[in-house]
Amino acid sequence: MSAVRMLVVWCPDWPVVAWGVPLDQPAAVFVANRVVACSPAARAEGVAVGQRRRDAQGRCPGLGILDRDVDREARLFEPVAAALEAITPSVEVVGPGLLGFPTRGPSRFFGGEEALCDRVREVVRPILERRADARLGIADGMFGARLAARLVDARDGAVIVDPGESAAFLADLAITTLEQPSLTDVLHRLGLDTLGAFASLSTADVVGRFGREGQLAHRLAQGHDAHPPDLRRPAPDLAVTWQFDPPAERIDTCAFAAKALADELHARLVADGLACLRVAIEAETEAGETHLRLWRHEGALSAAALAERARWQLDGWLHLAQGRPSSGVVRLTLIPDQVVPATGRQLGFWGGRAERADDVARVVARLQSILGPDAVSVPERRGGRGPAEQIVLIPAATVDLGDDRPATRREWVTEPWPGRLPAPHPARVLLDPLPIEVVDAIGRPLTVSGRGQISGDPTLVTLYGRRRRVEAWAGPWPIEDRWWDPVHQRRQARLQVVLDDATAHLLVIEQRSWWLEATYD
Amino acid sequence: MAIAAPRLDRAPRPDLDPDILARIQPVTLAGQRTVPVPGPLASLFPWGGLPRGTDVAVAGPGSWSLAMAMWAEALGAEGWLAVVGAPDLNLAAAADFGVRLDRVLVVETPPGDQWATVVAALLEAVDIVAVAPVSSVGRRDARRLVARAREQESILFHLDGAVRWPEAADVVLTVTPSSTTSSSWEGLGSGHGHLRRRVVEVERSGRRAHARARSVVVAMPTAEGGLAEAPVLAPVLAFPH
Repeated sequence: MSAVRMLVVWCPDWPVVAWGVPLDQPAAVFVANRVVACSPAARAEGVAVGQRRRDAQGRCPGLGILDRDVDREARLFEPVAAALEAITPSVEVVGPGLLGFPTRGPSRFFGGEEALCDRVREVVRPILERRADARLGIADGMFGARLAARLVDARDGAVIVDPGESAAFLADLAITTLEQPSLTDVLHRLGLDTLGAFASLSTADVVGRFGREGQLAHRLAQGHDAHPPDLRRPAPDLAVTWQFDPPAERIDTCAFAAKALADELHARLVADGLACLRVAIEAETEAGETHLRLWRHEGALSAAALAERARWQLDGWLHLAQGRPSSGVVRLTLIPDQVVPATGRQLGFWGGRAERADDVARVVARLQSILGPDAVSVPERRGGRGPAEQIVLIPAATVDLGDDRPATRREWVTEPWPGRLPAPHPARVLLDPLPIEVVDAIGRPLTVSGRGQISGDPTLVTLYGRRRRVEAWAGPWPIEDRWWDPVHQRRQARLQVVLDDATAHLLVIEQRSWWLEATYD
Repeated sequence: MAIAAPRLDRAPRPDLDPDILARIQPVTLAGQRTVPVPGPLASLFPWGGLPRGTDVAVAGPGSWSLAMAMWAEALGAEGWLAVVGAPDLNLAAAADFGVRLDRVLVVETPPGDQWATVVAALLEAVDIVAVAPVSSVGRRDARRLVARAREQESILFHLDGAVRWPEAADVVLTVTPSSTTSSSWEGLGSGHGHLRRRVVEVERSGRRAHARARSVVVAMPTAEGGLAEAPVLAPVLAFPH
């Protein structure tokens, strides 16, 4: 039952390090206007993960602003993984900046865990040079080892939790280290603030109340692996292979194949009711060089995540200082290395808020790649008098779709806008107003004076090439925008009309000409 | 020719708490998995709601408002809406009907050869996709999109009455000014007042389960922004004394 003993190498702040920023310079990496990583110097100034860009810059005016570049992070981390293969063949990369491997063999070979840590440092240090810090943690299970590495307080330090002591080590840590807010929020409110308190609950109670997800977290809190180590090895026919003919010379050719392979592998796994926790990606070149890397994911790996990892690995391999492939790739294989029955990841279609926002964000990213970065937008409320001024569209790339966005709510617009038309709003507001003719009862063009006086009753409207009688009308609603500004000032007056085909429209006059502005469709 | 399955005589069910009964009877046919529609429209649909995975066409003056009222009800608090290639659609009106603006994506009109790809991608992640294609859609693309909607249980709304769609839509909602009242719009006089609401007749036709047309008279929008059942006024022939 006890977890596999693991050593974790963690390079803190890797997204910043990957940009080559010295650690003593304040810099932060942003996604959707929020800090996702920052350098120690920035942290000392009060910058924290999750902050808005404005707040972060307020705390630290000299902050270097960086964009997230996951490919680059992965590429620069690859040499670390490659170097550690001199110590053990089973290096598992969790993501850029974090990898682990089982210590059993290597620690016996190098003469104990202390010696193993020294050896890892010797291997990693020349690669990272002065740019980054590498912190080591050894404990039973990946989760414990990661937390041990996080508790390291000195540069290149190591924390070793003795065998069998993982549960005691974890007991005092905060419940939030599980990094599952939806679960830990509830646990916190139940008064369970530490992993120890959570671990002491009976498994049956946890499963009864929190289901599968709770059970996995409970196992972690008890110092076990989330999934029992006696995983059955999948039948080899689950592996999927792509042959390149002619050999692929370009990374995007490989990435394309990786995407197709990942989809195929995923379909096979789903058909068998399995999910993949660890996958081996193997590439072989024309000259017979092979490159194999194990990728681990705490939740099951999705097809998109698999394809992304394959791309990272190939990209990293191409940029290695030594052992770079000398010819094109002829074969790419994805081998699911650890699989578990897929249970808890089935999401309801009309529920699961955060996951939905992720799905939507993924589609948005895809559409942006097809149509261009500004093709997808989201609405926000603005104040204004005209019907077209109530809503503005802003590019979807600039907001986090999972966030609460107050600018979309009715209360956002607080100022009164005198002269605004009363509700209901027209359902159709023409992007380009249509020139029309409006005449009064004796056939004269209708006008509105500067004082908002209408010259007669609107009687006939020529619309889409047809003359329509006005059944009912109201107005005018005169508007004088920016009267103080000689360039941008506008004088308009609006009229609501119902025509004899029972359609209702909003007409606007400006500079003596009438336009169809909106339709109450 | 469908052959009716023989009816099995079942043993009478033991008396159970109705709550438990409701919970242990999760069997519903795919067609019966519906999203809610505004109350007055429920009588238009055989299962009292709009079946998931269908395509819906709206046509006639007032059809966009009708579509917005239906989105608000179907999406609830969590559903996502995408509007593709309808730059004239006023989201302020949709918000009045109760559509949550933080669950809306607006996609600019894709070029003709990308149109189907874009809509297909959206159908995968979004609950309702509203479209108004600028050029006619090929039969193959149309079938693929309808199949995608069915598979993902998302709903495709044709804002243009499906005029550029090669196939008949599953559900067609035609809005006509109500014939029972003299003017369908209320609130507007000659030179005074403002538009308040209108009374329209909504006729539902379509295919398969929706083949038999039904219609209902509704008023929209109400003060709360929604639909209300409009009293059908019989023409007054004579005043009783």
